[in-house]
Amino acid sequence: MEAKYPFAEKFRDQILRCSSCGFCRAVCPVFGLTKRPAFNARGKMLVLKEVLDGTIELSDELIETLFQCTTCASCANQCPSGVNPPEIIKEVRKDMVHIGSCHPAFKGMNQVLQSHTNIYGEEAPADFERHRNKKAKCVYFIGCVGSYRQDEATTATLNLLDRLSVDYTLIDEVCCSGVLEDVGYEINQDMAKKNMELILATGARTVITGCPYCSRTFNKKPQYGQLKSEGIEVVHLSQFLKDFDLNVKTDKRVTYHDPCDLGRHCGIYEEPRELIRKIAPNFVELRHNRATALCCGAGGGVRGAYAKNSIGMARLRLEEVEEVGAEVLLTECNSCVHNLNNAKVRAQNFKIYTTPQFVNQLLSQAKRP
Amino acid sequence: MKPEIKQHLIGIVGSENLTDSLIDLIAYSKDASEFKHRPDAAVWPTATEQISAILKLANQEKFPVIARGAGTSLAGLVVPQQGGVILDLSRMNRIIDIRIEDRLAVVQPGVVYADLERALAPHGFFFPPDPASGTVCTLGGNVATNAGGIRGAKYGTTRDYVLGLEVVLPNGEVLRTGSKCMKSVSGYDLTRLFVGSEGTLGVFTEITLKINPKPPVSRTALATFAVLEDAGRAVGEVMHSGILPRALEVVDQQTLVAINQNTNLNLPEVEALLVVETDGYTMEENDFQLTKIMDIFKKHHATDIKKAETQKEAEALWTARKSAYGVMARINYNLFVEDLTVPISKVPDMLRVIADLAKRYDLKIPTVGHVGDGNLHPVISFDGTKPEEVKRVEKASEELFRRVIEMGGTLTGEHGIGLAKAPFMHFEHDEVAMGVMRSLKRLFDPNNILNPGKMALEG
Repeated sequence: MEAKYPFAEKFRDQILRCSSCGFCRAVCPVFGLTKRPAFNARGKMLVLKEVLDGTIELSDELIETLFQCTTCASCANQCPSGVNPPEIIKEVRKDMVHIGSCHPAFKGMNQVLQSHTNIYGEEAPADFERHRNKKAKCVYFIGCVGSYRQDEATTATLNLLDRLSVDYTLIDEVCCSGVLEDVGYEINQDMAKKNMELILATGARTVITGCPYCSRTFNKKPQYGQLKSEGIEVVHLSQFLKDFDLNVKTDKRVTYHDPCDLGRHCGIYEEPRELIRKIAPNFVELRHNRATALCCGAGGGVRGAYAKNSIGMARLRLEEVEEVGAEVLLTECNSCVHNLNNAKVRAQNFKIYTTPQFVNQLLSQAKRP
Repeated sequence: MKPEIKQHLIGIVGSENLTDSLIDLIAYSKDASEFKHRPDAAVWPTATEQISAILKLANQEKFPVIARGAGTSLAGLVVPQQGGVILDLSRMNRIIDIRIEDRLAVVQPGVVYADLERALAPHGFFFPPDPASGTVCTLGGNVATNAGGIRGAKYGTTRDYVLGLEVVLPNGEVLRTGSKCMKSVSGYDLTRLFVGSEGTLGVFTEITLKINPKPPVSRTALATFAVLEDAGRAVGEVMHSGILPRALEVVDQQTLVAINQNTNLNLPEVEALLVVETDGYTMEENDFQLTKIMDIFKKHHATDIKKAETQKEAEALWTARKSAYGVMARINYNLFVEDLTVPISKVPDMLRVIADLAKRYDLKIPTVGHVGDGNLHPVISFDGTKPEEVKRVEKASEELFRRVIEMGGTLTGEHGIGLAKAPFMHFEHDEVAMGVMRSLKRLFDPNNILNPGKMALEG
């Protein structure tokens, strides 16, 4: 029998394999905040089972749950039945878009990238007073959040790369467009092509990304396959920095938030910690760390579509920072920093930075007489 | 649902705490069992008074109300088989009080088991009955099902720790049972009546639990047996030796084969593998217990015995037992996780019966279990999309339950009757017993509004 929706063809087996044990309740950030079972992976799989059975159709009524998933994959990480809900949901979103049932914010994201170079629809790219498109050993790829929302973090990173005498160049980058795959659309081929051309023109053998999502997109998506075939290595900044001797220390109590895109999605847990432990011996882990880390609430298009819940999830994450009494929360993702900072209330007197931002700050302080 | 009832419910809980959206009705149509039926609406109450008002209304208008925690029931306990309103208690999740000096904790029904564990840990205390769903299941659900767990043989089940309850009755009255004392024989033991009553008599709004100091030291060992009966004799002797291990678990041959087929753990495919864990306050105390147990294993021809020297080694010894569910859940689409219990001496016979049923009905029924208290988990995995296979599963289940009762066992040790085992209640309970249970149900809930259709109470 031919499946009515393409997602069914691809994922029928996995969806039926969900035994409804409900263990995803413990880890789903959307459920953790809302306590509404329709939002966790079991709730979503039950809805999709009914679609498979033909008792219901994909429709606008399902938007609220199917588009409210940060794709953090903590459910997949501990599912006894081996189901991978985020992969299923991304596929279903494509079918939803196809039939015209799509959250307006997701639709907007695709529209913006049809006519702009970045997800924010900003006209002028930020100028970081650095060379662009020159010959260099490395390309530093900033990403949309770092370019348009967290420019302080980006400036700090670039200052750090300068201090470490890294031979790098920026490029006239456009959005990697990986996020479109999460929100029901496809990676924009033209954008992928433009990024690859610009990277190749520099002669660089290494691309350092400031954004874990860009790194994931470059490494895993076939649209960026040319990078691999040309022998270009793409690494996230935390991987690139781990072997440098930064020669600076702090006695502050520091903790670390694993971004989903770097941790669960790429398996990078230790490199950021190695670097942080070197500079902050008074390092402490959050209650949920590494593979069980709680999502900051921004992923999968949720920040744009369900802003209130996105901030709510970030607040829950910040409660864990208070719990361990940390003075500084570090992370390696501009998007996480952005959302967590937006969620921080005044009474919480810890600071939130990207690791390079914090390192750069320590280096500047150390320099002062 | 009649619009005026919906309006009335909104009046009680507020419009933001009632839903009849399709996505919610689907999410509440199922638990971890294979049963399914949508409710008409669901509400998220946050106070006893709201629940009282809801039940009063339900009693007047005669619609079903199904209290629900995490919905991890494996027997259909919270599936709204006759529609009605789901009372989702997971937002009543406050730990009201922890009184270490009185050895008790007072909680709301929606508190997650693991959250209580986390709150007790800094005091060196714990709540011993430990269901496998501990990271998600709620204490209200644990009390309603009288949940057990791996530590049952030494520490008992939820029943042994409930000191008192606040319960809303179907007419809206609020009943307080038990006391906050370690001992009380004051009047009928209403608390025990409610423990394990599967939401059919009242809705818990506050639970007073006895808590235990947590022995800080534990030791783990594993033994394999070529012959099932040898393992059975070893378990029997351990359990009457005077040593009470905090866990004594069996993994049967079908499970070991299934694990090997689906992982690279490369376990020995023996007839039985036992994992044992002792606990206490000193290493010497643990060593004494473990040595005695290992001597018993040797005496009964264990083919291999391993003792963990470190925490890491202990975890490794638990791998076979702990990976079992994950493997079973992946064998096929659907699962019946049974929890029959037999007298400890009958465990080997029961495991033989299960293996024989699997063969005769051409099914996979890997079994693990808490042999220390005779509680076994045969897991029947099948493809629910094939009607012929479902028929064989149903026949095998019925025969399984008949044999359990013939052996002097019980249908359920810790999951409850719900919908799954309601058709088999009469195997275990005669007309007199069923009559008394039904009279009690009518006394508390004359209009049958609370969780109707469960436990064969309507027969």
